[in-house]
Amino acid sequence: MQDIVDKIRSRYDVSEVTEQRENLTFVTVEKDQVVPLLMQMRDQEGFSHFVLLTAVDWIEEGVFQLTYILNHPGKKVDLGIRAHINREHASMESAHHLWQQVATYQRELKEMFGIDFPGSPRVDEEFFLEGWDHTPPMRREFDTKKFSEQTYFPRPGSKSYDPREYMKQKLYCDDYEEEQ
Amino acid sequence: MSKLKDILTPFTAWNNLARDPVTVKDPVNDRPGSARYRGFHQNDIEKCIGCGACESICETGAIRMVPVEGVETKEGDSGLRPEVDYGRCCWCALCVDICSTGSLTMSNEYIWVDEDPEAFTFVPGIDPKPWDKEEKGWKKPEPDYELNIKERVSMPQREAEEREDSFIEIVKGYSREQAIAEADRCIDCGICQATCPAHMDIPDYIRAVREENLEEGFRIMYKTNPLPEVCGRICTHKCEDVCAMGHRGDPIAIRWLKRYIADSVSQENYQQALQQENPQDKDKRVAIIGAGPTGLSAAYYLALMGYTIKIFESQPRAGGMMRYGIPEYRLPYDALDMDIDYILSLGVDIQYNTRVGADVTLDELHENYDSVLIGTGLHAGKSTRIPGTDHKDVHQAIKLLREFSKGNEIPLARRIVIIGGGNVAMDITRTLARLQNQKYGEVHIITTSLETEDVMPADQEEIDEAREEKVTLRPGWGPQKIEIENDQIKGLHVQRCLSVFDENGRFSPKFDEEDQAFFEGDMVVEAIGQGMDISFLSKKVREGLDFTQRGRLMVNDWFQSKQEWLFMGGDIIQGPDVIHGIANGHKAARGIDMYLRGDLRYDEGRNK
Amino acid sequence: MKKNNSFDQSPDRSKYPENGPDNKPDIDLSSGKYSKVWQGPNHPGVTGNMSLELTLCGDEIVDAKTHVGYLHRGFEKLFERRLYMQVMPTCLRMCVPESDTNEYCFAEAVEELSGIEAPEKAKWLRMLVLEMSRLQMLLRVVPGQGGAFGLGIGVQWGMYVRELVLDLFEELTGGRVYHMYMLPGGVRGDLPEGFRERAQSVMDEVFRFAERIDNVMFTNSVFKKRAIGTGYIDPSWVDQYGIVGPNARAAGYKRDIRKDHPYLRYDQLDWEVPVLENSDVFTRSRIRWMDMQVTASLIGQILEKMPEKGSFKAPTPNALNWRIPKGETYVKAEASRGEFGYYVVSDGSAYPRRIMLRGPSYTHAIALLERLLIRANIADVGAIMVSLQTCPPEIER
Repeated sequence: MQDIVDKIRSRYDVSEVTEQRENLTFVTVEKDQVVPLLMQMRDQEGFSHFVLLTAVDWIEEGVFQLTYILNHPGKKVDLGIRAHINREHASMESAHHLWQQVATYQRELKEMFGIDFPGSPRVDEEFFLEGWDHTPPMRREFDTKKFSEQTYFPRPGSKSYDPREYMKQKLYCDDYEEEQ
Repeated sequence: MSKLKDILTPFTAWNNLARDPVTVKDPVNDRPGSARYRGFHQNDIEKCIGCGACESICETGAIRMVPVEGVETKEGDSGLRPEVDYGRCCWCALCVDICSTGSLTMSNEYIWVDEDPEAFTFVPGIDPKPWDKEEKGWKKPEPDYELNIKERVSMPQREAEEREDSFIEIVKGYSREQAIAEADRCIDCGICQATCPAHMDIPDYIRAVREENLEEGFRIMYKTNPLPEVCGRICTHKCEDVCAMGHRGDPIAIRWLKRYIADSVSQENYQQALQQENPQDKDKRVAIIGAGPTGLSAAYYLALMGYTIKIFESQPRAGGMMRYGIPEYRLPYDALDMDIDYILSLGVDIQYNTRVGADVTLDELHENYDSVLIGTGLHAGKSTRIPGTDHKDVHQAIKLLREFSKGNEIPLARRIVIIGGGNVAMDITRTLARLQNQKYGEVHIITTSLETEDVMPADQEEIDEAREEKVTLRPGWGPQKIEIENDQIKGLHVQRCLSVFDENGRFSPKFDEEDQAFFEGDMVVEAIGQGMDISFLSKKVREGLDFTQRGRLMVNDWFQSKQEWLFMGGDIIQGPDVIHGIANGHKAARGIDMYLRGDLRYDEGRNK
Repeated sequence: MKKNNSFDQSPDRSKYPENGPDNKPDIDLSSGKYSKVWQGPNHPGVTGNMSLELTLCGDEIVDAKTHVGYLHRGFEKLFERRLYMQVMPTCLRMCVPESDTNEYCFAEAVEELSGIEAPEKAKWLRMLVLEMSRLQMLLRVVPGQGGAFGLGIGVQWGMYVRELVLDLFEELTGGRVYHMYMLPGGVRGDLPEGFRERAQSVMDEVFRFAERIDNVMFTNSVFKKRAIGTGYIDPSWVDQYGIVGPNARAAGYKRDIRKDHPYLRYDQLDWEVPVLENSDVFTRSRIRWMDMQVTASLIGQILEKMPEKGSFKAPTPNALNWRIPKGETYVKAEASRGEFGYYVVSDGSAYPRRIMLRGPSYTHAIALLERLLIRANIADVGAIMVSLQTCPPEIER
């Protein structure tokens, strides 16, 4: 694995390498180097199996992390390629031409994270959602609890008491009030 | 051939006509759930303490903590019980696995039919169900399966050899990692808070440790307790006795976590950490008698409210029993002074070496101040009054401890017998043991108590540590007589104590006269308790007060006496321990505030 | 086995649409030559709730699009609000029929990130449960392939044997379908007394079933006629489409994560990965049938080699405050359908930053299925889906 990482380092701007396990290494590169790197890994290094593509929302830093994982069936190692893209007008070069299933991942990311992949087939078609006009739901700022409270009617049930507050009311609450 | 085979072979299926059916004829009765099946919930209501860990772990929000009839809220039991909503439950049984007491289980029942959808929300153990008594079903797998750590993070301490001749503090305090690991064990139920006399926001400051927000934790502590350095070391930690984690493991080390927070804020940062603004001056004056926990606590809260405070202290330094009763190896004077100095820095005036009743009278205080708080504590040692106690080599523990704290030399024999089973007895035992080690290079102390070890009032760790320091403990013996020969004490005659209290809980020891023993010694120290000295109350004041049938002073919920300008708290009312004093002082401060604002009468403040 | 209806041997092509300039069929719906048919979203067999938008020319499919979204519960989003321990009872729902692989991958990922190792006994128990899980899935899907062609008898037999496996599950884990057995740190119970014997007798039943299903399905002229050559996967597609598991092994690729990246204690078990050539519905079904017997034998080996004594759960911190150190990992396991993996990202808090499931159906049921269906007969759609073992819940997590 080390030789592959060295090769990547020699040609790309690698900002971080994490050897997670003996058969799994992550490298972080610039976003515009991802597709060339994927292609090189597939065609020259033998990472022929594309495992997954997904995004992680680091909302605090204002970036999406894209993670591509490749597998080398011969050497039996996995390589994770990470890149960061800006959350604002998030867009990434499409890799749909490299493996047939990549377009599906990119379509999902467009819908769930709002990351655009210009040129990717059917990227704008609805995937899981139907008639969704909210924030892309996998973005961290989309609050599922708030959404469900606004959208649905909760079934009225009994109130739950906090043991601590309840004991205070029952056992030692006094009516002292500070002077205003 | 192969084609013919492909046509004929499937007909082998007809063989099944000759086989017995494999279906279960009566699945409801013939096929009960397995012994581990996660069926419907059961709860042992007596065992459950309503801590709500089940609610916290429930990922579907199916559990709600509700009050139920027949279960009372009391210390150590919130009185709430889990209600399960089977419209939400996913039967993962994490609630069972995390249950602090082990009361929550599941039966192996498969079937529950009801026409009313609301019926499927129920309180297990309260709403009777056919499976309540079912033995089979999911129980938390024992023994090594836990979703929490049962053992507390052990506290680093000085070894016995290192401490037995020195007064250096024994407990070293948690490191950052240790404190966070211990804070992580807390399930945040808050049951401890009701039991803490000061009702400190314990879960909140534990959370602050977890989140490494120590200044916030410091502020939270000061809201209810201005002596955290002290309490972090020597509090009787009643909170830990009711800790939910204590039911199946060690309670959270609440006291040590408090100490960790207090120690982590350095004194110069107190002001900044507490972010207290100068209050508006109220133009009212309050006199406080005694600079012990009660007086200091009240002074702190009253000063923050804007009152002018003056404390009258009979001793040369502030702290009361915290300084003059508790040995330095448990509570170093530096730590105590950090707490006291901050309180005094708020503009609290203190007059040392002034004994009310001798140097100034209570009536004078009444005249010059708008309100007076008494927090004088218990400083008069009690005697067993057995024959021989009037000998000059029989001493009172509390007096020896006070003199030693002042830096005075105290009598020290080669062989000492100590009578008493409480913490004061342990304090004097271990103090004298250290002095013996320093002076004679060996320890020869026998400490005896009426109570057997399992019911001795002293903390277990005190007992264990005393043993480590080579003291001989002889619990369960009643002192009979001090043997004196040629005006020299020879030792103490004791007989076996069978029980200390009668069935009504009154002090009434019973002895086995056949079973006698003799403990040799040249000096005897009595540490069987302290009484109060309220001789400074003038006849006029005293006549205006309420006393209980057993002669104790009576105050209302705000520690206001029947003489409405006079408040009293601490050991003379409740306890005895530091945390009650602090709590009383806080409550009395608010009572005084209400009184001085004109809306607190003695009768109104009772039994609320 | 002879291909009789494969992609490159189509008969008369005159009625097919011409390819347009972008190399895609140029379908003019208004021409009256074509019709659109929606298949699904109800189950056409054991394939789950998804629908196919099929464009037909006669009874042959000229274009297919997969539509999912009928099962979307947003699990990956919900994990953002779950404590790590609370993820366990949720994550397994992402694949209903084979929930244990979820539990395993998640538990293993959390353990890896937090530096905890499950005890030896737990590893064997996990392996046992994973194999039992694979077995019950195969007991459903192997005869299910016959079911897709109208051969129902095997399904009934399979369901019976599967129930016996579920009984074992109930005994061991406390649940029949959702076992909730593996949690970060270990598992939730030891082998019950007498389990080995009972399990062994169920395995004997599995072998008998395998023989009977061989007789009624694989040695059945009707089944062969329908299955051989249907839904042919060219070996060159395997990497191109991300084909994994039995679907790849039926095309000659010897890939099995249990052998290639041995996890748990698979390296201590003795077995051969079944591989066949010529991946059509028949071969894929056959390879699952072989898998089923391998699995039954593995269960026997596990029960034999499993240590008798030992703890089954490592100590873990308070489940309510368990913060996982910052980091990310990808943990995979071989499910009955192929590579199943969890990508877990922790930001150091008690709540996961991101958990992503990579399920085999994500590629099999969309990119691959859309390709395979072209020029298939509409009557074979269900069978092709079963042969790919599609499972929509793992597409729309």
